[in-house]
Formats: sequence, C-alpha cells, structure tokens
Amino acid sequence: MALIETRGMTKVFRTPLKGPGLAGSVKHLFTRRFTDRVAVADVDLTIEAGEAVAYVGPNGAGKSTTIKMLTGILVPTSGEVHANGVVPHKQRIQNARNIGVVFGQRTQLWWDIPVRESLALLKEIHRIPQDRYEATLQSFNELLELEELLPVIGRRLSLGQRMRADLAAALLHDPKILYLDEPTIGLDISVKDRVRAFIKKLIAERGTTVMLTTHDLGDIEDICRRIVIIDEGRIIYDGDLQAVKDTFARERSMHFQLQHPPADPAAIAARVPGVKLVAGEKPVQLGVHFDRFEVSAADVVAAVMTEADVIDFHIDEPAIEDVIRKVYAGQLDLSAAEA
Amino acid sequence: MAAASRIGRPIVLYMRCLAVQIKAVLEYQADFWILMMASVLMNLVGFVFLWTIFTKIPDVNGWTFWQVVVIYSLVFVAEGVGSLFFEGTWNLAFLVNRGELDFMLLRPVSPISQVMSCAIGINGLGNLLLGGTLIGLSLSHLQIHWTLGRVALALLLLASAIATKIGLNLATNASAFWVQTPFSGFAFSMHQLGDLARYPITIYASAVQALITVAVPFAFVSFFPAAAVFSKGSWRLAGVELPLRWLGLATPLVAIYCCWMGVFLFRRGLRRYESAGN
Amino acid sequence: MRRAYVMHAKLALQQMFAYRAGFFLGLLGNFFFLLSMFYLWHVLLKNPRFTHALGWDWSQMKAYLLIGFVTGALVSTFTDYTMANRIRTGDVALDLVRPVDYQKARFSEAIGIALFELCTAILVCAIVVAVFGGMQPPTLQAGLLFTVSLLLVVPLKFGIIYMSGLLCFWTTNYLGVSWSRQAIVNIMSGALVPIVLFPVWLQGLANVLPFQAVVWTPARIYLGTIHGTEAAMWLAIQAAWGAGLWILARLMWKVAVRKLVIQGG
Repeated sequence: MALIETRGMTKVFRTPLKGPGLAGSVKHLFTRRFTDRVAVADVDLTIEAGEAVAYVGPNGAGKSTTIKMLTGILVPTSGEVHANGVVPHKQRIQNARNIGVVFGQRTQLWWDIPVRESLALLKEIHRIPQDRYEATLQSFNELLELEELLPVIGRRLSLGQRMRADLAAALLHDPKILYLDEPTIGLDISVKDRVRAFIKKLIAERGTTVMLTTHDLGDIEDICRRIVIIDEGRIIYDGDLQAVKDTFARERSMHFQLQHPPADPAAIAARVPGVKLVAGEKPVQLGVHFDRFEVSAADVVAAVMTEADVIDFHIDEPAIEDVIRKVYAGQLDLSAAEA
Repeated sequence: MAAASRIGRPIVLYMRCLAVQIKAVLEYQADFWILMMASVLMNLVGFVFLWTIFTKIPDVNGWTFWQVVVIYSLVFVAEGVGSLFFEGTWNLAFLVNRGELDFMLLRPVSPISQVMSCAIGINGLGNLLLGGTLIGLSLSHLQIHWTLGRVALALLLLASAIATKIGLNLATNASAFWVQTPFSGFAFSMHQLGDLARYPITIYASAVQALITVAVPFAFVSFFPAAAVFSKGSWRLAGVELPLRWLGLATPLVAIYCCWMGVFLFRRGLRRYESAGN
Repeated sequence: MRRAYVMHAKLALQQMFAYRAGFFLGLLGNFFFLLSMFYLWHVLLKNPRFTHALGWDWSQMKAYLLIGFVTGALVSTFTDYTMANRIRTGDVALDLVRPVDYQKARFSEAIGIALFELCTAILVCAIVVAVFGGMQPPTLQAGLLFTVSLLLVVPLKFGIIYMSGLLCFWTTNYLGVSWSRQAIVNIMSGALVPIVLFPVWLQGLANVLPFQAVVWTPARIYLGTIHGTEAAMWLAIQAAWGAGLWILARLMWKVAVRKLVIQGG
C-alpha cells in the first residue's frame, strides 16, 4: 500500500442558516435550520513515500480540510483514509508519531515559554533520545539558523522566525510525512528561500514525503514534482508538474523595444509562422507570443531584428501561475493532460 | 519496570506541561497574588455567610455549624485540586471553538491529558489552603473518635470526592463539542448546580436531592463523604431509606463512574469535532 | 451622535443573541443559586429567632431573594470580561480611535443588554412564583418607588463593573479582580444575607458603601421596611452613588489611558 492512500474521502460540514441582523438572529432561535456544505467530495489520492506533492486550489476549495482528514484531526463523513499504515482518526496517536505538521497561520509552539523549552517539551512528548535530539538541533542550527531563535519567547517571534521555529518543531522527531499548510504565507523572500532550501534538502537526504498546500506558486515550482489541483472539493487534476506546463503552459512571450515603430509587422509574422503579434503600450513596443515547442526564441529574435531595429528585449517564461489562473477561471480543462 | 514507566511517563509529561503553565503564570507576579486573594476572599465570604446564619440557630436539619463548614469547605477543596491540576478542562470550549485543539490531536499524547494540563489556576492554591484549613478547624471542633480505620476511610472518601468533581468537570465541559460557543456555559452552570451541595442536601425538595445525587452526583463531592465520616444516621428519599455510612462508601464508585463518563463523553465529542478556520 | 450609542446598544444585543446559549446557561447558573437560597432560607425561617431578627416572614423573604436575583441579573452579561479581554489583547486601541466616548459607549451596550436581562429575569421570577407560591405584592407607593430604585440599579452596577473592568489597565489577568469584586458585592449588597443580620459593625460598613444600594435598598423599599421620607433618602443615596461612580470612573479612565500598556502579541 502507498504511504498515503484515500478512496472516496468526503467531508460535509453543517452550518446554521441565519438571516442577517437582529431579526435573523431572533428567528433562528425558533426555526433551527441548517445547511450542508460539501467541503471535500470523493477524493482519491495516492502518495508514495518520498514524493513531494503540491496541493493547490482556490480559497475554500477544501485543501485544509483534506490535510486535516489526512492528519486525523477531522473524521471523514464517508470514504477511506490510510496513512502510515493506519487510519489516522482512529489511531491518532500512532499516526501522530510519524507526521509533522506546519500550519502557516498558527504556531504549535507554546506561547509563553522560549523556543528552546517548547522543543524540549516536544522531545519528551516524542520520546526522542538525547543524542539524536542534539544532533537534530545541530543540523537545524545550520539549515535554519535555529540557534538565534532558541531563547526567544513564543509570542515574541516575528513571522519569519516563527516559521523557522515551527519547521524545527514539526521535524524534530524525523517524521515520515511532512504536511505544510501555507508555510510561506507572509514571509519575505529571503526567508522563503531558506525554507524552500530546507525542505528540498529534507526530501533529498531523509526521504521525507512532503505534502504542500500553498497559494505561492513559487513554492510549488521550487519544491514539488507533482501537482494536485482541487476545486470545490473535487480533484480536477493530479499529475506531473512538468507535464502540466508542457501541455498547457506552452506560450512564451517576448517583448521588444524598437528604435522606430515596425514598418511592416506582417512581414515579421511571415518569417516565423504561428506567432501572434501584439502591439505594446507605445508604438515602439512590440510583443510576440509563440508556442515554445513550435518556434524557438532565437528564430523570433532573428525575425524581428531583420525587419526592425531592436534596442532591447526580454522573455517571459511560462509559469504554472498562468495555468492555475486559467483553471480557476474555468478556461482550462485539465483532463486532456491526464490522457 | 516497564509497567511503572508506562504509568509514570504520562504523569511526568503531565507535570511538565503544568510546569510550563506555572512559568507563564509566575511571569505576572501581581496577578498571582490577586488570584490568591480572590479565592481566599470567596472562601471567606462563604464562611461569613454561614457564620452569620449560625449565630442565630444551633443547627440546620440536625447539622451543626462545624459540620456544615466541613461540607461547604469540601467543595472548595475539590475545586482547588481541580483548578490547580486540571484547570485546562475549562478551556476546552475555547480550544474547540478556535480550532486550537488541532495541535493536541497531532501529538502522540492523549488529548484529554493535554487539554487538562494546558492551564493552571493558581486560585486553586488559595482554595486548597483555606478550604483545608477550615476543614481542619472544623474537625478539631467536632468530637470525632478517630481510629485508624476512620482516618483511612476519611482519606479514601476525600480522594474520591475530589475525583468525582474532576470527572464531573470533564464530563460537563465535553459539552463544548456540541455547543458552538467559546465559553463553557453548560459546564459552568452545572458547576453552579454543584453549589447546591455546599449545604446539607436534606434541606432540598426530593426532586432536587435526587438531581444532585443521581443525575449529576455533586452530593458525593461533599455531603455523603462528610456524612459517612460523621455517621449521621440514614438518608431518606422517595420512601427509600439508606444508612449514610453505606452511601458514603459508594463515593469511590461514583468517582469512577464520573471519571469514566468524562472520558467517554470527550471521546464521543472528538468525533464531532470540526476544527474551525481555513 | 446619539444614533451611534443606540447602535452600540443594538450591536451588543445582537452579540448576545449570537451567544444566546451561553447567556441562558449563565442564567441557569444564577437560577441554581437562587434555588439553593430558597430552600436554605425556607428551612432557616422555620426558626422563630430568624423571623424575629429579620422582621420578615417567608413570603417576604421570597420576595427578597427574587429581588436579589433580578438585580443580580441586571448588567451581568455586559462585562468587565469583554472589556478586560479587549484591553488585554490590545483591541482597545481600536475603541479609542473611534469618535465615541468610551464610557458612554460601554454604558449604551450595558443598557441595551439590560433590557433583555430584565425581561428574562422577570420570566424566571414568574416561574419561581408559580412553583414556590406567591409573595405579598407591594403597596402602590412602594411599588412605584421600587421601580425607580430598580432602574437606578443599572447605572450603579454599571459603575461598579465598569470601574473594575478599568482595573485591567493595571493588571494583566483579570479573573482575580472580577472574582474579588463579585465576592465583595455579593456579601455587601445583601444578596447573600440581609444586612440587618450582620453584626453591628459590619452593618455600619455596609451602609457607607455603594453595594447595599444594589439589593438592600430596593428590597427594603419593595417590602415596605422603609417608606416615605426614609425611602426617598435611600433612593437619593442610591442615585448619588450612581452619579458618583460615573464621575469617579471618568477620572479613573483619564489615568488609565495615560498608563495604557498594550499587552498580548
């Protein structure tokens, strides 16, 4: 069996139906009505050991709910969940020994004591032998610069510091699976880089399985090989990240800054078939959109330079961001990529 | 050895979690003293209340002043232990409402012990000290013939009484899983119902006596244990008459039942937990 | 400007509905206390020495306890706790930036909720009367004066609770302060024991404190123990305390804002 496996996993939430304002509240006192919200519907997921999976979706798509069911916090309304060989919500304590979780928006450290003591308490909770504990802290010191955080009291940590400390706390016991729920939210770029590097190292050296939910697509491109996209509780794509880009993010664009406005744009287009020319903001600007598998950038540059005087140009790479945006907007059907 | 460590480890871990809370509390020295003063004040007000009443009458339903003080103080002592060692139970509603229970569920430790040890109520110290003092004072005024057996019985009953209160706290606070507020309203109301047991329950109508003896056995936190030690005859309810000695001895059983109820309801509630937030 | 305060009252009421379960359960708790007092005093009043010392019989004692309950319910949900929490977390900074007077805003909230508290408290009283039997109704004059007294309890209790809430600017953990306040008010207002049963020196102390105006004064007026000019005098004292606490609170506020320390993360 795979490390993580779910079949038909579903979660339905029940919330009270209430009108707005005072009148609504009074009414609800008497007519107690509820509405069912399907947060996660029929999710089949298989994750092997050592994989790095990105779990992506718009807000409210069901990402956090999925993670909570995988970690045993929530009980699925229906369907099966297996992780680490157990059913998480049934054998919670056993499951907890093998997972580490980082919630970007909340910390698992204790508020009123220094980080050092939070980690010491976790050491006791996970029954980590002293020598292994010290070795782990040492490696964290190098990778996350943990040392400077140790004496700081939990509630006094800045966001970036908190994230590093939370990572240390989540990985102290060397779990097989690491769940990251929006880990880089609100972090500045230098901390983000450090966090990403740390996670990549983890995957490479310890074979930790990583499941990452995030809105930051930079995280995905840097860390993950596989992407699962969820929308309105259903998985709409599950596959290789590169394959998605190759299939759907084929368009590259180059932007030229010319000496004079192009005399004959049609001639440029004739030289490199299949490109699309777009006028820039100013008459001296020219954009060229092309399929990067059909036409090479060099050909485009050559074509433009032949027909016009080029001062400068730059290339926009295809980003997973564009694909995701289109998927969210419903403009893209990803089932073609899976075929 | 392994068995000892199986029981010992969780206790050590529990104490360590409590220790974390103590550090947090001691950060605010002024608050520490204010809380202590508050609990002493509350104890004192109750004592003054009883004293004012008993200046006019010799006894209530056959219960003399010092005997009533014992009953009254037993409630404080049980509360004191609860606040000092199990205060976290009262935070359950808050934890559930804010979804903060999540992290406790992600650790390989029983969530119940994590919840109970997540807070410490220093007022418990005040309750324990003053309540204990008042009980000691009362016992010195009462002419009880102390044999070894009687002392053992008293200690057993004291422990059971306290355990009953703890179990009831857990059971009533488990309501947090069913009610959608961050306050432990239901549990607190039940706690106040328990205040009825501060006085000899024989003053109440049968229905009320039955309520706090059978449904929510607060009477076993104070009245019955005390009555058993004082050996005060028998107790009559709905035509049934039972010697108080026997009822007092039922306290340990009631304690086990209440603790079991607490754990059971907590586990049931956990299944309904829906974890707030994104 | 007045509309802003009415909005405060409305919002507070709405919040209460959101937490209606909590409110009703809190009410239930107070009801249990009432219950225990009923049974206890019923037994106590069988003893003639009590009735002699009190000057009341059981029917009057019932009224006394119910008055204690109603006045206890008034301004009990608005709190000090909400205030204290906002001060502790620093949210109070948002309140300070709003162009409304902090004290008046809190008072508006308290009044809004007090209406609800009064209605539910009276409902509970009706149930209790149905179960335990009736009480002697007051004379017309006593009834009118009592209504005035009851209304005066609202600003009075607000003053006490508001000021103790302001103490949160000085301490970080509010619980101890709140409990101390409750204990002191409980005993010195006469809610636990009618003040006439106190030893003489304690009675003297109670009479110079504002707390007796919460239960003792309205109760005596209702039961006719004091009437005519004596009642008017105690009413005036009650009103004076209400106004005095209001002013004292404003002074305390000035000091508190100067000392503002924002706690929490």
